[in-house]
Amino acid sequence: MNEGTSQYYFTASMDSGKTLCSLLKAIQFQETAVFCALAEGLKLTVEEGKCVQASAYVPSDNFTEYHVRDDVDVMFKISIAVLAECLNIFGSGEESSLKMYYRGEGSPLLLVLQPQSMHNVMTDCEISTQTADSVLELRDEDAAEVAKLVLKAPAFLGLLADLERSCDVIEINLSPDHPNVSIITYGMQDRSCIDMPKSSDMVQSFSCESPVTLRYQLHHIRLIMKALGISTKVVLRCSSNGLLLLQLKLEKEDQRQMFSEFYIVPLLDD
Amino acid sequence: MKCHVPGANVKVLGRTVHALARFGDELYLESLPDCILLRTLNAAESAYAMVKFNKNFFSYFNYNYYSTEDNEGLKCKISMKSALNTFKSPTHMDKQVENLEIKLDADACKLIFQLKCRHGIVKTHFVTILDCKAMQAVYTKDTVPNRITSPQRILSDALNNFQSSDDQLTLEATPLSLILRNYIDCSIDLTKIIRTQITLKPAEFDSYVIGTETIITFSLKEFRALLAFAEALNLPLQLHFETTGRPAVFIVHNGITFEAHFVLATTKPDSTSQTTATQNTSVERKKRKDTTSTQGSVKKKPHLDMDVSKCLDEDSHLFNFVEIPDENFIESNNKQNGHVSKDNKNNSKVEAMDCDNIPASPTSKTIKSVFKRCFESTFDPRSIQGVILAENSDSD
Amino acid sequence: MKFRAVMIDAGPMREFSNVVTIISKLSKECVLRLTDDKLYFIVSEENSGPTPPILWCEIPQAMFCSEYQMLGLDEEHKDIYLSFSSGNLARSLVILKTAKSLKMKLTKKQCPCLTLEIEMPSTTSQQTRQVTHDIPVTVIPRKLWTDFHEPRIPDPDISIELPPLKQLRTTIDRMRTMTSEVVIRASAEGRLTLQIRTDMAKVSTRFKGLRVEAFGGPIDHSDSETETQMNEDMSRVCYCRVDAKKLSMFLSAEQISTNRTVCSIVHRKLVILCLTTDESVKLQCFIGGIVY
Repeated sequence: MNEGTSQYYFTASMDSGKTLCSLLKAIQFQETAVFCALAEGLKLTVEEGKCVQASAYVPSDNFTEYHVRDDVDVMFKISIAVLAECLNIFGSGEESSLKMYYRGEGSPLLLVLQPQSMHNVMTDCEISTQTADSVLELRDEDAAEVAKLVLKAPAFLGLLADLERSCDVIEINLSPDHPNVSIITYGMQDRSCIDMPKSSDMVQSFSCESPVTLRYQLHHIRLIMKALGISTKVVLRCSSNGLLLLQLKLEKEDQRQMFSEFYIVPLLDD
Repeated sequence: MKCHVPGANVKVLGRTVHALARFGDELYLESLPDCILLRTLNAAESAYAMVKFNKNFFSYFNYNYYSTEDNEGLKCKISMKSALNTFKSPTHMDKQVENLEIKLDADACKLIFQLKCRHGIVKTHFVTILDCKAMQAVYTKDTVPNRITSPQRILSDALNNFQSSDDQLTLEATPLSLILRNYIDCSIDLTKIIRTQITLKPAEFDSYVIGTETIITFSLKEFRALLAFAEALNLPLQLHFETTGRPAVFIVHNGITFEAHFVLATTKPDSTSQTTATQNTSVERKKRKDTTSTQGSVKKKPHLDMDVSKCLDEDSHLFNFVEIPDENFIESNNKQNGHVSKDNKNNSKVEAMDCDNIPASPTSKTIKSVFKRCFESTFDPRSIQGVILAENSDSD
Repeated sequence: MKFRAVMIDAGPMREFSNVVTIISKLSKECVLRLTDDKLYFIVSEENSGPTPPILWCEIPQAMFCSEYQMLGLDEEHKDIYLSFSSGNLARSLVILKTAKSLKMKLTKKQCPCLTLEIEMPSTTSQQTRQVTHDIPVTVIPRKLWTDFHEPRIPDPDISIELPPLKQLRTTIDRMRTMTSEVVIRASAEGRLTLQIRTDMAKVSTRFKGLRVEAFGGPIDHSDSETETQMNEDMSRVCYCRVDAKKLSMFLSAEQISTNRTVCSIVHRKLVILCLTTDESVKLQCFIGGIVY
């Protein structure tokens, strides 16, 4: 196969597509994603309106084989739902080896999957691709970072899971003074407040120079929950313009890492 | 009022709130000098629950923290949704919560729950108080003839045999066996529904005393909820009941720190096995309730101020349950209460009023027995003995 | 008309419960035919009047029942045909997995009923408890019996052993999220392929090295839209397009301790899945081909 790879824009293989599949499912809140194969790794991005942008990023060292032609842009739109179902074709209990091929613009993404435990079966998939629109650039280079905190992902997930779903708005107060982090939700009649001092052992690092209050749609924040469920660590970065960036790290058994990141646009003040 | 609940007991409190949420949409909290009471009543006023947490359930307890002059303690009503939101996942609450502080200020409009959790996290819920009244029902539990103590698994295992569409359970208690049946409403097409019956032997229970054989029917939804509560806390369930029409009381307690009473109205037994289909087909039914057992209104003094016309009105629904009563049952009932003849006049009046709805003329004995039940629990205060948790909750 | 049967062995009771559960997944209603030596569960296509059954299940009573008595209408009409909700029976029998005994009988309790009396061990003591379910049934009149005769099917073009049902079902269920129809292909060389095709994707899962029980080829592909695959002799391949949901439901039979399952295909027209268990239960499912 090596001989022929040059005719493909992109080829990759890995021993098990299972973690990749969970990572895709974690950002699968929209039907289509922009699939982008970079020299450093594979990146899939989904957007909700112009409010949330989520990406899954798989560094190339997760693959046993990874080739991208350096003279072309490998970027196309694909159904992330179909891609995740195909990766999971033998079920979540099964580790299946995965090979990916992409011949060039307009051609489908080809997948070949073979379960590790059974040798008399294999699946091949042709997933159609479309030309990608550009991806939103939500980051404003001029906006300074006003706060950064690093949290343990499972504990943070526990906090988010306990928030009342019926609330529309989540308010995050960050301050150099105790309690440092305060998350407030407003329900129909009630108000709930979570205080988290930087001394908490779920806070791995905290930096914030002056108090800041940020408000987001709770629904948008909840989109990160699946990703939190498979990650070990989450970094929250707040810009002076209110844009929230969450970077999540997923650590695999083989010591390799995969990432997801979410940009969330703040609610405007009335 | 201010109190602290230690981590392990927060789980118990959480389970309690979840159980009560299966009963009613509103939660009444009352703080007394030596305990806190949580109560709820369902919308149909046919199911009531009261859980009492003694002083020793708490690591700190001061019912008069804000030193009000009013020595009656504090009362408030909150939405059950708010309470559920505070105790979202009771299963692992004991592992996450180290301490819970509950604060109620006589003048405040918020009930405050503050959870001190692992990782140094503090969660505070400011819950809106909807009302400052209390609510209670009156029922008898200590002098009833029928008492069973059941390990929690037995009844929940038995209930697994019923369909999820079954909504009422009939209990037939004799000294030799306890029979559980799904209640079949006469309006239901018999060719569409499974009839299920489970026979349990007295030896399966921790204790089993049936003084008066009886058949009672009550709601399965609430019964399942209270069984789940007993099961979650790994405590036995006590069943205290009398006869049809009188409330059945289910008790779960650990003997030291808390005691839960679940009171379910009982209605007439499944009559389909005794009557012919034609007698029942034309009957239009309304949701049965038993206002004689539970009462939601706070302003009315329970029992004494009970509106007579309401009672008659309610009872007319009972007429629709045409059935051929068991002779022995009525006789024993008559012996217990001596004012049968006195009520006869009223009965005939009601019958005349409601005759449109009555598909077949019931025997006078039926009416007596039906009617007397109403009067028994409503108008004869002497029949209420034992622990009465009721009190007039108007503080003025 | 009389019927009375008793089961006391744990294995057969469990299997009986599993079989009924699968039937309940395939159809809301089913027909139970009782004969001297066998019980038959028969399912017809719902809402489509008298059509050939889509499921045919034979249970030899001697392997399951310690007692079995029945009496039909008369000497000419010895069998009994009952129709009822399969879900009602399945839910009632779930507890058979831990039961001590099951007694089934035909009763008249305001309406004809199949009465199940199940003796259960208590979870907390040495006692047993008695659970009784009265499942309302309709006794099917003689003149309608012909609707429930064993379907006559054309000779299949191929019969091939299926890979483990659980694996097959997982794959079908993934495919089902993308489309409602799946093409089953089988070749005389022992390959079985599941294929779907949508606007978004083409997916095919291939199993090889399966035992071919019978092959009636060569297959005529002159009028079909088959895609040829490289190095494949199409005259030795047949296929059928079927409803993925029906296929998946039958594959939930994975719970049954199967002896073996064979898939037979009448080219483009019909898929027959036949499962036999150690207790000699034969469960056959007929899934009609979808032809455009």
